[in-house]
Formats: sequence, structure tokens, C-alpha cells
Amino acid sequence: MFTLALRSLRFRVGAFAASFLSTLLGATVLMSFASMLDTAAGDHVDAASEETLGTMATVVGGWGLLLVVFAVSSTLTLAVRQRAQEMALLKSVGATPAQLRRMVVGEALVVSTSAALLAVAPAMLGGRGLLAVLKETGQVNEEIDYAFGATGLSMGLGITFAAAVLAAFLGARRATAMRARDALTDAQLANPPMGLARRIGAVLLLLVGASQGVVTMTVMNGEGSDAMQTAGTASITFALGLALLAPLLVRTVGAVLTAPLRWFAGTSGYLTAHNVRRRTQQLANALMPVILFTGISFGTLYMQAVENDATDAAGLTKSTEDKNIELLNFVVIGMIALFACIMLINTLVATTTFRTREFGQQRLVGATPGQVLGTVGLEGLVLACSGIGFGSLAGLVTLIPFTIARTDRVVPDVGPAMYGGIVAVALLVTLASCVLTARRSLRTPAMEVVSAA
Amino acid sequence: MFRQHEEQPARHPEALRLVSVRKVYGSGARAADAQQSTRAAQAENQVTALDGVSLSLPAGSFTAVMGPSGSGKSTLLQCAAGLDQPSSGVVVVDGAELVGGSETELTKFRRQRIGFVFQQFNLLPTLTVLQNVTLPLRLAGRRVDRQAAVRVLEEVGLGERLGYRPAELSGGQQQRVAIARALVTNPRVLFGDEPTGALDTRSARIVLDLLRRAVRDYGQTVVMVTHDPVAASYADSVLFLADGRLAGRLERPTAEAVAERMAHLGDEVLAAPAPGQSYGGSGGPWQPVNQGV
Ligand SMILES: Nc1ncnc2c1ncn2[C@@H]1O[C@H](COP(=O)(O)OP(=O)(O)OP(=O)(O)O)[C@@H](O)[C@H]1O
Ligand SMILES: [Mg+2]
Repeated sequence: MFTLALRSLRFRVGAFAASFLSTLLGATVLMSFASMLDTAAGDHVDAASEETLGTMATVVGGWGLLLVVFAVSSTLTLAVRQRAQEMALLKSVGATPAQLRRMVVGEALVVSTSAALLAVAPAMLGGRGLLAVLKETGQVNEEIDYAFGATGLSMGLGITFAAAVLAAFLGARRATAMRARDALTDAQLANPPMGLARRIGAVLLLLVGASQGVVTMTVMNGEGSDAMQTAGTASITFALGLALLAPLLVRTVGAVLTAPLRWFAGTSGYLTAHNVRRRTQQLANALMPVILFTGISFGTLYMQAVENDATDAAGLTKSTEDKNIELLNFVVIGMIALFACIMLINTLVATTTFRTREFGQQRLVGATPGQVLGTVGLEGLVLACSGIGFGSLAGLVTLIPFTIARTDRVVPDVGPAMYGGIVAVALLVTLASCVLTARRSLRTPAMEVVSAA
Repeated sequence: MFRQHEEQPARHPEALRLVSVRKVYGSGARAADAQQSTRAAQAENQVTALDGVSLSLPAGSFTAVMGPSGSGKSTLLQCAAGLDQPSSGVVVVDGAELVGGSETELTKFRRQRIGFVFQQFNLLPTLTVLQNVTLPLRLAGRRVDRQAAVRVLEEVGLGERLGYRPAELSGGQQQRVAIARALVTNPRVLFGDEPTGALDTRSARIVLDLLRRAVRDYGQTVVMVTHDPVAASYADSVLFLADGRLAGRLERPTAEAVAERMAHLGDEVLAAPAPGQSYGGSGGPWQPVNQGV
């Protein structure tokens, strides 16, 4: 089965590229920050510097861990699910579920090990850069030497490895649990209902996010920058809750938009309305990263802007700790945004590629390439706009309470330019991923696409 | 039933005409944008799938196309139906010449004139039966006459299944939906590439009866590729294809006569393959004729 895993890797480089890339990035970030612990163990490290380095390593490392698990599992799960048919075929020629699981886990091990090892060099560079920034801003002692040692290496490799194996197990369990016949008949169309655990988790996250917002407004009101602690996590938690609810959100959007889409957008609108309702699961998978990206970057960036204005207004200069927090904020949202984008691109490219045959069938029935692209673009637009809408809601859970706590306003006095930028990135990434992928799949003649399957 | 009651422009007496149609795979523009190594390799050894085919089919005729595997039947159908462009030659459907152009132009040409039924049905899995049937009208921006679509579906015996999805139907039922979908636009020519190839004997017979009824009762022109002499015997005439060339014609065919002719065709082709021609990767040089139907 391991040879089979290697062989299937070689033939499906594309499907694993996203897993590989997100693992590589995740491991790089993890090890860059984890190496701060190695650095802190060196010479010339005073107590304050040690604390700064420790915070950097653990806070960002903690977020990194979460992200790596999330990104690796979503990309791997997708890579596995795209192959439901192949799995079914293997099953129908006699592969046992256990053999298939070993194959999938084997693939994950190869992908994650190579990605993590390749990440060592960039992580060293990253760590060095991070230390330079910390020195420049006077947050740590100038004399500290950079070190990359056992702690950084073992944390990076260990976490990446564990995340990949865990993700592979979860993905494989789903894929192999399917009966051979079910998988062979249109695995893609399955719209499984949301599990109870997922619903409960979503509601809990939403409640926690909302209560963090309330705490920011009440308890933390007038507490200065400390309000950032509760406010910052509010949008992240809330956005995660919404992301878990994505299938439900897609269904709602579909129900609301069906009539206007059919009315105003012609045939493309008709097909889009249809697809939004029939392909709930795939759209939900893509909606999640849009919500996370928008919610978290909107909330955090504006919170930081309000904070900076408030500090200026009070005529204060930033303390080392303030700078630390600002840097951390930017690093964390930068990471989250980057991972969300990778997940989004991966999901959209994979699901759109998978629809090549469907596009071919539409073309054979009389759809022009323009109509196919129009439908895909419209779907992308619906997806991006709903993601931006729900994400903005999550961002407001941070922003409004924090503005109330930190200033005497409700709506912050920060321009819309940053929001415009966030919206533009979300729209651009979503539309470019699906439309460009669809365009590529239109290059093959329809007959060829349809008879290839 | 198969007709829509919209105003019809008069039909050209000649439904389909091909003049010296050639199709060479692995050359020209297609080879240039070939990305996969397999296709690049094919550019090396070009395949002449159609080697100067000329034919004329009157409106309201039912023609079967037969020939060994790799003889160019599918290629002929796709070129005639505007799904592919011939390397040279002329294709005229209902008096209108199919001139080469973008996929969009070809699509628009087909929408007006052509219906196509595939071996693998190619129904859209997310749409219901009725939605699948009305889709070509929607795509063409034509008025969607729900009643007319329902009538066609009733005619193919699926009036009770309007809300079903393709996955909930048997192969034979799916093919009948595909036929309804092809007929709903009121095409000048209905093409079928082994439309009964994936069906059992009984379902195949129902589908063939439907096609014959469309021809007899409503003057539909039908061109159908098949490997099955019994299926071919439903047609008014059979065209034989070997090595990309027309190799004979049989009027008012019986299954026995067709089978006998095919056997000889197979012999000839085996005995003297044309130089530089391959018999196609899909099967051996000759596949045994399916028995049954
Ligand atoms: N897309 C393609 N690229 C290159 N060669 C092709 C392509 N399609 C068909 N051919 C070649 O053209 C020839 C005719 O193929 P075609 O599919 O028309 O045969 P056919 O008569 O339909 O065969 P079958 O009965 O097996 O369906 C074959 O040699 C085949 O290999
Ligand atoms: Mg064929």
C-alpha cells in the first residue's frame, strides 16, 4: 500500500500541491517562531527579552498549530474526497478499508515530511528576520544571537507531522466509509446534513464570540489597550462559528437569491441559483475561508487602527508591549489571511476542475463558453459576496465593542479604504480562482472531456 | 408531439450534405495546443479518421452508420453535427453551410439545427428530468414552453417522472430523457452515437422505436451510429464506413443482410489495411457484432 501511495502521489501532484504548500508555509511559520525559544536560551538574554521571545513563540506558535491543523486537514480531506471514485474502484477490486486508510495516511506522511523538512531553511531565514524586527523596534536586547535548535526543529516537525496524520485519518475515514456503489454514483453530489457536533460547536463559538464582544463593551470599557485581548478574539471566534455553519448559510443564501437570480441574470442566473442549492457542500467548503479571511482581517486591522488613533489622541507614545501586541496582531492576521487564501484557492480550483465534465455536458447541450464562464463567475460572485457579508458581521463583533470601549464613539473614525482592500482581495481571489480554472477546463473540446470519464 | 407548435420556417429537402469531408487528427491547431504527452505523441503519427466522405441525406430519412471500430463513425457524426470541425470539406445542414469558427459560433449553429444523443446520456446530474429537457431552450434564449416539454416527455413515456433526477432513473429512461432533450429544440437533424450502446435489449428496442416514430410520424431526420445489425435494421438505409471512407450502402436493411455485409467489411479491412492508417486505440481492428436487441 505504501508503494501505491507513492505512485498515486506521483500521478496526482496537482491534488497534493495545496496540501504541500500549506504544510510548507505552516511549518515555516511554526519553526520561525518556535526558534525564538532556542534563541531565548542563548547568551545576552535579559529577563524582558526572554519574556518577549517566549510570548512570540507561544502565542504565534499556538495559532500556527491551529492553522496548520485546519489548513492541512481541509486540503488533505479535499484531495482524498476528490478521489472518492478512485477509492471506490480500488474497493471494488478488493482493497479493504484498512488498506485504503494506510494508503491515504502514507500519502499524508510523505507530503508532510517533505514539506516540513523543506521548511527548515526558510524558517531559519524567517526567524532571523523576526529577531531583526524585534531588535529594531527595541523589543529585545541588541546583542542577542539567533539560534535555531532542537526546540524549533522538534516543535515544527512534530506539530506538522501530527497535524497531517490526524487530518489524513479523518479524511480517510470519510472516504472509506462510503460504500463502493455510492461512491461510484456521483459522490460529488452528496449533500450530507450537518452533524450535531458541528451544530453545537458552531453555536458555542458564536456565543463565546458574542460574549467576548459584550465583555469588551462592559468590563473592559475604559481599560485601555487591554480591551484588545477580548475584542481581538471575539471576531476570530465568531468567524469560526459562522464558518462551521457554512452549509446552513449557503442554503439560506440560495433560498433568498433564487428568485432574483432567475429574474435578473437570465440563463446563467437560472443555473447559478440551481447550483447554489444543489452543491451546498462544495460551496460551503469555499465559503468558510472567505468568512475567516474577511472577518478576521477586518476585525483585527480596524481594531489596531482604532487603538493607534486612541493612543495618539491621548498623546501617548507606544510602549514596548504595545509594539509587541501590534506586531503579533499583524503576524497572526497575516498568517490567517494567507492560509485562508490558500484554502480558498485550493478548494475552488479543485471543485472547479472536478466540474470539467459537467461543463462539457453543458456545452454539448448548447451552452457557449461565455455562458459557462458567466455561470461560474456568477457563482463566484454569490460566494464572495456572502462570505464578505458574513465575515463583515464577524468583524463587527470585534470592532463595535472595541470602539465603544476605547473611544466615545460607536462607529470608528477610520476610513473605508482598508475595508475596500479586504473586500477587493476576497473578490479577486474568489473570482480569479474559479473563472481561470473554468477557462482552462474549457480549452479541451467538450466531446473529449465528456467521453474521457 | 415531437413538434413544437411554433411557426416553423420551411425545411430544406436535403437535411444533410457532406462534400469531401476529411478529418486528420494530430495536425494543425489542435496539435499545437496539445499539452499532454500522449497527444503530443499522436502529433507524430497523424491519423486520418475521415478520408473524403461525401453524402447526402434527404429530410425525413433514418440512416444508420456502421463500420469497424476506429473506422471514423464518431468522427463523421461529430463533424456533421458541428461538434468538431473537419480538416477540409463542406458540411451543409438544412441548407446552411457550417463554416468554421469559434466554439461559440459552432454552438449557435448547433442550437438552431442539431440534436445529439450520446451513448452515455450526458444528462446534467443536478437538474431534474424536466429541467434537463428545457435546458437547451434556456441556453438558446428561447421561450421555454413547459407544456411542450412535458408533452415530449409524455411521448417518450416519462410523463410521470418530471421531477426525478437522472441518478434516480434507469439507463433506458435516461436515454429517453436525452432523446426528449434533443427533440425539444425541434432540430433539423437528430444524431445519435451508439444511443443504444449502453442499454439492455428491451430498453434499446424502446429507444429505437421512439426514433423510428419520430421519423415516420413527424418527418424527423435521424442519423445513428450503431454496432448492432438489429438496431441498424430500424433505419431506412445503412451507410458502411471503413478506414474513414464510405464503403457501401444498404437500403431497407434487414438485420441478417447488415450482419453479413459487416462480416465482409471486416474481412476486407483485415485483409488490406490502408497504408498509414491505424484502426484506433479503442478496440481491436474488428469488434464482433453485438448480438441481440
Ligand atoms: N481526439 C482524437 N485524437 C486523435 N485521434 C482520434 C481522436 N478521436 C478519434 N481518433 C482516431 O480517429 C479514428 C476514428 O475514430 P472514431 O472514434 O471516429 O472511430 P469509431 O468508428 O467511432 O470507433 P468505435 O466504433 O470504436 O467508436 C481512430 O483511429 C481514432 O483512434
Ligand atoms: Mg465511436
